[in-house]
Amino acid sequence: MKNWKRIVAALLLVVGIVLIVMSVVNMPKRNSETGTAIIEKLRVRSLLSAVGDGVVESYVDIAKKNATEEVKAAGGSLSDLRKAIKEAEEKVRSEFTGDTTDYTGKDMTGVYASLAEYDASLASYADEKALAEKKYYDAHLAEAEALAEQKREEAIAKGEDVPAEETVFVDMSGFTPTEKMLSLRATADEKYKLLGAELMKVEPQLTENALETLQKTVDSVLYQEQRDFASLYDAYASYAGTDVLDDQRQAFIIRYADDFITFGVGFIILAFAIYFYDAIVKALGVPRFIIGLFFILLCLSALVLDLNLSALLSNTVVRMGMNSVMVLAMVPGIQCGISLNLGLPIGLVAGLLGGLMAIEYEIPGIAGFLFALASGMIIAAIAGYLYAMLLNRLKGSEMSVTTYVGFSVVSLMSIAWLMLPFKSLKLRWPLGTGLRNTIGLDKSNFWRILDRFLAFKIGDFMVPTGLLLFMAFACLMVWLFSRSKTGVAMQAVGNNRRFAQATGINVNKMRTIGTVLSTVLGAVGILVYSQSYGFMQLYTAPRQMGFVAASAILIGGASTSRTKISHVIIGTFLFQGVLTLGMPVANELVPGSTISETMRILISNGIILYALTKSGGDTRG
Amino acid sequence: MDKSKDIRTIMRDNAVTIMFVILCIIGLVFSGQSVSFVMYELVGRISRNAFLVLALIIPIIAGMGINFAVTIGAMAAQISALWITEWQIPGLTGFMAAIAMTLPIALVFGFLIGKLLNKMKGQEMIGGLILGYFANGLYQLLFLFIFGNIIPLNTKGLVIQGSTGVANTINLTGDKGIKYALDGIMRLPMHETVFWACGIAALVAIALMALKKIEAKKAIKIIVILAVLVGLFFIPAVRDLFVLTNVPIVTLLVIFLLCLFNNALLKTRLGQQFRAVGQNRVVANAAGISVDTIRVIAIMISTVLAGWGQLIFVQNMGSFQTYGAHEQVGLYAGAAILVGGASIKRATNGQAILGTILFHLLFIVAPSAGKNIFGDAAVGEYFRVFISYGVIAMALVMHTWRGAVKKKKPGEQDMSAVEKG
Repeated sequence: MKNWKRIVAALLLVVGIVLIVMSVVNMPKRNSETGTAIIEKLRVRSLLSAVGDGVVESYVDIAKKNATEEVKAAGGSLSDLRKAIKEAEEKVRSEFTGDTTDYTGKDMTGVYASLAEYDASLASYADEKALAEKKYYDAHLAEAEALAEQKREEAIAKGEDVPAEETVFVDMSGFTPTEKMLSLRATADEKYKLLGAELMKVEPQLTENALETLQKTVDSVLYQEQRDFASLYDAYASYAGTDVLDDQRQAFIIRYADDFITFGVGFIILAFAIYFYDAIVKALGVPRFIIGLFFILLCLSALVLDLNLSALLSNTVVRMGMNSVMVLAMVPGIQCGISLNLGLPIGLVAGLLGGLMAIEYEIPGIAGFLFALASGMIIAAIAGYLYAMLLNRLKGSEMSVTTYVGFSVVSLMSIAWLMLPFKSLKLRWPLGTGLRNTIGLDKSNFWRILDRFLAFKIGDFMVPTGLLLFMAFACLMVWLFSRSKTGVAMQAVGNNRRFAQATGINVNKMRTIGTVLSTVLGAVGILVYSQSYGFMQLYTAPRQMGFVAASAILIGGASTSRTKISHVIIGTFLFQGVLTLGMPVANELVPGSTISETMRILISNGIILYALTKSGGDTRG
Repeated sequence: MDKSKDIRTIMRDNAVTIMFVILCIIGLVFSGQSVSFVMYELVGRISRNAFLVLALIIPIIAGMGINFAVTIGAMAAQISALWITEWQIPGLTGFMAAIAMTLPIALVFGFLIGKLLNKMKGQEMIGGLILGYFANGLYQLLFLFIFGNIIPLNTKGLVIQGSTGVANTINLTGDKGIKYALDGIMRLPMHETVFWACGIAALVAIALMALKKIEAKKAIKIIVILAVLVGLFFIPAVRDLFVLTNVPIVTLLVIFLLCLFNNALLKTRLGQQFRAVGQNRVVANAAGISVDTIRVIAIMISTVLAGWGQLIFVQNMGSFQTYGAHEQVGLYAGAAILVGGASIKRATNGQAILGTILFHLLFIVAPSAGKNIFGDAAVGEYFRVFISYGVIAMALVMHTWRGAVKKKKPGEQDMSAVEKG
């Protein structure tokens, strides 16, 4: 048993190392002579195949012209003419299909040299153009944003659903080429003429006319926005294939060296996971082990699929931050012994009420957010107190009760959303009754107020400083509380109610504190979530959020009776990481599918089921 | 015990039912719908929902609470319904084929559910609920990525070009469908149904009296009540209330048979074991009953019945939402049985039927009542969802509450409350 594990692990390790070594050796070749030679060859090949198509077209033109003249000379009718032209075209095309000109034995050095020059000058033109366009875009961005904002306001006033679109569209029709662009274009055109001359030497049938019409095609084949080895290789190879290369296998290895490294790393991780399986599972538990491995697998697949991993990870961090406080709300609940607080929606609707009030009273920016927090927390504290009184009478079977109490509160609040006397048009439908389903936040209230605070970028990785600071602050407060005298007493109740009672702790009081704290954190959590998401969702949206938070903390390693802060952070990161990475990867593999949503359902509910089997698993009787 | 206390106890024990009767009356008055329309709707809803509600009884008696995992039975039914449609087996044959196909699938599902729920004793209800959600994920995998992709479907309309997986709605109408396969066998107007039913009931009562199974006094009492009922339907005003109603006789007969089955089953040895396990697992175990096996059997029966119930439901509706039709099955059935006065420890056929009637009566009248009272139909919609959840929450609270009160009284130790502590 132990032996096969060792053998498999060793095999995987060897394969991984071989892959990495092979790739590390071949990777630098991309920018060396070998790499340049490969690209040059592919480039010429692409050009020639484009030109070859052009040649066929010019033959077709000639044939058509001849046919027209012949029919005219014979005095045929218009339909005869059409028929003759069609026949001529078909004849020429059938002659040339599958036929490629054989260039071996022809002197191609001239083509190579002039193509390299043309390519370089075309690139400098395109770069300049991109630069100028960027300048134009930046100059007109503020204007476009104002326009978008105005449209939004109009939409709100008219009562249309505010679009979720966040990207601002800048109208580029007013863009005019700069002097420098024009001169670079002229240089490039001259180089193209030289290239044309060289081409006519190897392809005598080519006419000036055909070359002129061909220039657009040639440009689109030659110029790639990404000019690194891999992108150029892919573009040219997709255009004309790779069979022109002398050593196709070597080219393949060089091209996919980065992916081989990823595979190698994956094999090595797998080798370690198999070798240390028992130790890791003992330390993390089966579910966390599986989900952790799955997360790594998703990261590696994102790399292989050439997705922007750092942008995805940045997304993960944002989503971790926005969900973290809601997950944190589970902590006091578990610690005080009410188990997973699936009645979290009670806190969530309280927070939403606070947010609605901040918008209704038009309190701007950070003040509005603080007002929303404060009022949400007060409502949550009152609701949480009542909720705690209920739970104190139901010790021992809280979970199913809290679930249904939470569901009831959500549907009761749905009625409230229809009837509450809010007046702001941002909140309610101008026609018809009740509040909107999703309430879009904007810069006049607390849209991304935390995310934007001191945010900075490292490459594609956006760091939402304010959000992370808030998360850290909230975690710190809960941690400090759990270290206080009350916090310790509360945990004693959660661990063993009877024992705590025997030592003179007021069980009901501690459970009340924990429940209220959990509900209040729920209110804070939904506001943090909404400000980052950009929308407040009413009606049935909060119903399942308690489950999401519960599964996150369980993934982090909590049980239904024990937890700590690290479970919150690890669990939220892993859960949100799997979700954010899962969607683009799944879409790449099965386009247009909802498989990532299915995956969320399976993970989220699977982990809760697992926790239930561990907690309620008394096999007696 | 004096009589006033008796009434108080009755009121307290049936608070939910009484509250619901009041709600239904208020709803009826304010909905502005004609009684004949409400009755027409109600008979339709009872005929398609009662079977599902009755499927919950066995697990309740076996001490597993409301089996929210009936959604999984419904999934089994929908898998069968999909394939019956794919194979184009029409009418009653198709329906019976679906029934037959549901049986093994639901048995396997029920076995797995039971095994899992045995690992979370005392938490069956939340476990069943979450398990339903989890199974929904697997169901989506099956319908989105396996059916129609790996296993091709050829019937037109089951797969939509350009999207993955089975179409959102599966249509059972047309001459190849199973719509009204059961309902359509025989339909009678309400008064005829009542005459027939009363006549047969009277004959049975007389037969039982002749066989000395029941006392003559009781038999006469029954016959008198039946006669009054028949008499009522001779009044044109009463008949007019049911003028739209067309009763699907066979469906109601099937529901009646399930009631008989439930009763008969509980009288067998297995039924006694259900009760024993439900009352006290420790004692049952000591008495030599294999508690885990009995619980698995209870869930298997419930899952199969739920699957058949869902088939009755879809044949009445004539189509179903592929990805949504099963989701609320557990919620609505669970709420209905509780409305009828059942608790999570005790349930009877009568409670199930009464609950179905009251719950669906409220469902019919709530939207228009909401519109008339609050000026918005959505209020009524949300109100009935609130009621569904609220009834379950309340039943759970009251049950635990009672357990806690009993526990404080010595000599009345309630095992369930102790175990959960």
